[in-house]
Amino acid sequence: MSPDAAVLLAVLGLPFLGAALVPAVHRVLGERTAYFAAGVAAVCLALLATQADAALHATPDAGAVVVPWIPALGVELALYLDGLALLVGFLATGVGVLVFTYSAGYMRDEPGTQRYYATLLAFMGSMLGVALAADLIALFVFWELTSVTSFLLIGHYRTTDAGRYAARKSLFVTVVGGLFLLVGFVLLAHVTGQAPGLARTFTLVGTEGSLLANPEGVRGALETGGLFVPVVALVVVGAAAKSAQVPLQIWLPDAMEAPTPVSAFLHSATMVKAGVYLVGRLRPLFLPPDVAVPEWTLLVATLGLISMAVTAVLAVGATDIKELLAYSTASHLGLIIAGYGLANEAGVETGAFHIVNHALFKAALFLVAGIVAHEAGTRAIHDLGGLAEHLPVTAAVTVVAALGMAGVPPFNGFYSKELLFEATWDVAAHEGGLYLLFPAVAVFGSVFTFLYSIRFLMLFFGEPPDGLADREIQAPPWSMLAPTVLLGGLAGLVGLAGVLATVGVHVEAFETFLASVVASSAVAGGHGFEYHLPTSPSPYAGMSLLAIGLGAVLYPSYDRLHRGVRRLRAVPHTSPDAYYDAGIEGLDRLGALVPRYVQTGVVRTYAAVLLASTSLLVLGGYTAAGADLPAFDGFVVGLPIALVLLVAVVGAAAVGTAPSHVAGVLTLSILGFMVAVFYVLASAPDLALTQLVVETLVLVILLLVLDELPAFYGEATGLRSITDGFVAALVGGTVFVTVLVATAGRPDDRIAEFLVENGGVPAEHGPVLLDAGGGGNLVNVILVDFRAFDTLGEITVLAIAALSVLTLIAMRGTGGAP
Amino acid sequence: MSDGQGRPAGRRDPRRETTVIARLVTRTVVPLILVTAVALLVRGHDLPGGGFIAGVLTVTAFALTAIIYGLDELEETLVGVTVPGRGVLSGVTETFAGTFAAGLALAAAGGIAAMLAGYPFLSQAVVFVEGVPLYHEVELASALVFDLGVYLVVVGALLTILKVVGRE
Repeated sequence: MSPDAAVLLAVLGLPFLGAALVPAVHRVLGERTAYFAAGVAAVCLALLATQADAALHATPDAGAVVVPWIPALGVELALYLDGLALLVGFLATGVGVLVFTYSAGYMRDEPGTQRYYATLLAFMGSMLGVALAADLIALFVFWELTSVTSFLLIGHYRTTDAGRYAARKSLFVTVVGGLFLLVGFVLLAHVTGQAPGLARTFTLVGTEGSLLANPEGVRGALETGGLFVPVVALVVVGAAAKSAQVPLQIWLPDAMEAPTPVSAFLHSATMVKAGVYLVGRLRPLFLPPDVAVPEWTLLVATLGLISMAVTAVLAVGATDIKELLAYSTASHLGLIIAGYGLANEAGVETGAFHIVNHALFKAALFLVAGIVAHEAGTRAIHDLGGLAEHLPVTAAVTVVAALGMAGVPPFNGFYSKELLFEATWDVAAHEGGLYLLFPAVAVFGSVFTFLYSIRFLMLFFGEPPDGLADREIQAPPWSMLAPTVLLGGLAGLVGLAGVLATVGVHVEAFETFLASVVASSAVAGGHGFEYHLPTSPSPYAGMSLLAIGLGAVLYPSYDRLHRGVRRLRAVPHTSPDAYYDAGIEGLDRLGALVPRYVQTGVVRTYAAVLLASTSLLVLGGYTAAGADLPAFDGFVVGLPIALVLLVAVVGAAAVGTAPSHVAGVLTLSILGFMVAVFYVLASAPDLALTQLVVETLVLVILLLVLDELPAFYGEATGLRSITDGFVAALVGGTVFVTVLVATAGRPDDRIAEFLVENGGVPAEHGPVLLDAGGGGNLVNVILVDFRAFDTLGEITVLAIAALSVLTLIAMRGTGGAP
Repeated sequence: MSDGQGRPAGRRDPRRETTVIARLVTRTVVPLILVTAVALLVRGHDLPGGGFIAGVLTVTAFALTAIIYGLDELEETLVGVTVPGRGVLSGVTETFAGTFAAGLALAAAGGIAAMLAGYPFLSQAVVFVEGVPLYHEVELASALVFDLGVYLVVVGALLTILKVVGRE
């Protein structure tokens, strides 16, 4: 059973349509545009929900909705819906509804709300595209669209330096990561084309020939080509940049410059989940069955675990509540990626389940952070405390969400973290050796996770600091409170379902849904999924206990740890941030060199640079393509042609010694006319005519132009004549080689034969000829009939050139105004 | 083509004074060049020639006139536009620009006409008309319309460039 094509296309199209309508809607509704956007998200959510049944029974070899896009290249807009895609779609639209509602309160009286809602809707559409796309190219396009829209959203306050810095940083890191991804995708498609039994395809999933339907064949092809590890590494770099994994996490803390609803949406539930989603989606492709620790695990699980631990430590060093949440997000994404990286069943369950849990508790906590910043007027951790007195409902939500984040039973984060412990323990128990580090690092990261989660929770308890005690803190508006409570409530319900399952009451719908999410990334088919509190002692329960216990012991010395982490961060050369800043500065300096050496404003420089680089590119191209020069077998021209060419050479030599520009141009025309004579001798009347006429006209135009220039510039200096001579020789050599290579090529002249056969007037013909040229001049027949489209393009270029001359010269000095 | 009266050269730069021989030769040659250009355009389908060459040749005739008689003379007598115009797209430049725009439109319209008849864009056809006096059989190629478009674009574009560069 495959999903309804119209519904999927509507889900994808509606957010973009809504974004386009925002300006008009804003005129009517004003600040209430938020509810319009929430409505669009709700419709998408409902439409997705109608397809849930199809998604739960999806198999990777069928069910894709295919719309041809670039058929010649095999690129199509293929959409596919399975558990994982449905989950990300639900997150994008469901959290979308809540964030839009929240924005109605948060963004009141903020500048640029039209832009804000339009971009946020477009972002939601791009995210749905990432989730639904079953074609690598479409996936990449939507992937980059999320980067671009998130750039606009992070830089929402575009007049602040911090906002601009953060927006540029996130764009730079995620887009460069995206380029890695693109290379990986292209290699993947290329390699499948080489494999026996596989056709080159960009389709990822959902058809019989798609990559995920033939994982064995694709892996085999990659390994034969020696490209398995490179492709995996390229894809993982792309995913790591998007999901803020070490050392590319640097953009996420800065991105907190964005309005808080944006952070709640992009940096907890959606955009950063794109990288995780990709890892989960490609897991069955790169993970061979029956290997305990494949390359995939070494790369992905190690990356995830290191990120989880490092960013958890960094979160303890945070001074701002949103910075804390940002590092925590990177840490939890590391946890998910580590889960997907491990080859066992508990691993994939960790990834799938923690996507849900993290989205719920982290989106809730971001909304809480927004409420705190909005009502208390500060985001600095040290200036906050005892807020529960003024914000009791928010405090209750925070208890549920923060304890879920800490991994304390029975709250939701506990179950998925327990699964990670189980997965790492399994690997360590079977493999031993260095793999013992897997569970150790997981516990280490969890201790710090516990620490910062409790620190966040303690914003609401204890004595309020001096500055805050005087401030009158009001309750947030319902539009901000309701989404927060709903998200916190959902997080609580997930935890509650685990408790119920322990006593034998299962929430079937939720478990079936999770099972299908797991099945999307599992290597060997689907099976059921359930979770509950540990009922008997196990190593993993011990690890949970250890993490929480250590955290509780260390919490009283939180301030010392906080200062320690800050001192550690201050050590030079340890922060990837410094490398990013140095790199950008280096690019700036490199950019400053360009005007000094290339954009000098002197035509001579431009000509030299353009000609020399074009020649080098062309020669490089010949070398790379292995073009052969034909063997030299003596001069074969007759005496007349030799004479004409000799005169041409003499003319060319005379140009260099001409005493003035006018004399030079006139001498140059000797060369041109000799070439025309050569065409006549070589039986090419069309070329000869054209050459003659064009030569005449060019001569006239040059003389007109030269009339206005100084007669002579004087002798060239030594160095300049050497460089000019070099460039001239290079260009001449390139043209020479090009002519040799081009004429040496003897392809099967089928097109030429076709043209010769069909160009003329056939001996037998009716009164009307449609399928043949019907002309005696084959050159012209090609120009106006067989290749008329090319000619149309050329005369368009000519017209554009005339327009350019018109605008460039005639409008010069008018400052652009006609 | 030329008004045949020879204007007094008083208002032109005396440095640019051209000889009577040059002016006489130009006046004789320019009509010949233009007729040759039209001939090249029409016969292009069967013999060396075509819209591009014909266009460039026409422009050469205009350029010759401009050099010998000056741009003003060219505008007034050959093109027949005397509005001096201060803007970029006014006076004679507008005529030139209009020429290449019309040419582009003509070439594209020919292609679209083929589409309207149910053939691919820019399909061309040839019709043989029998029994024409003197010629017996005349071959009418729809490609001539396209070639005429090319011709107009070349003439219009090159004259625009010539005019703009020449005015500097």
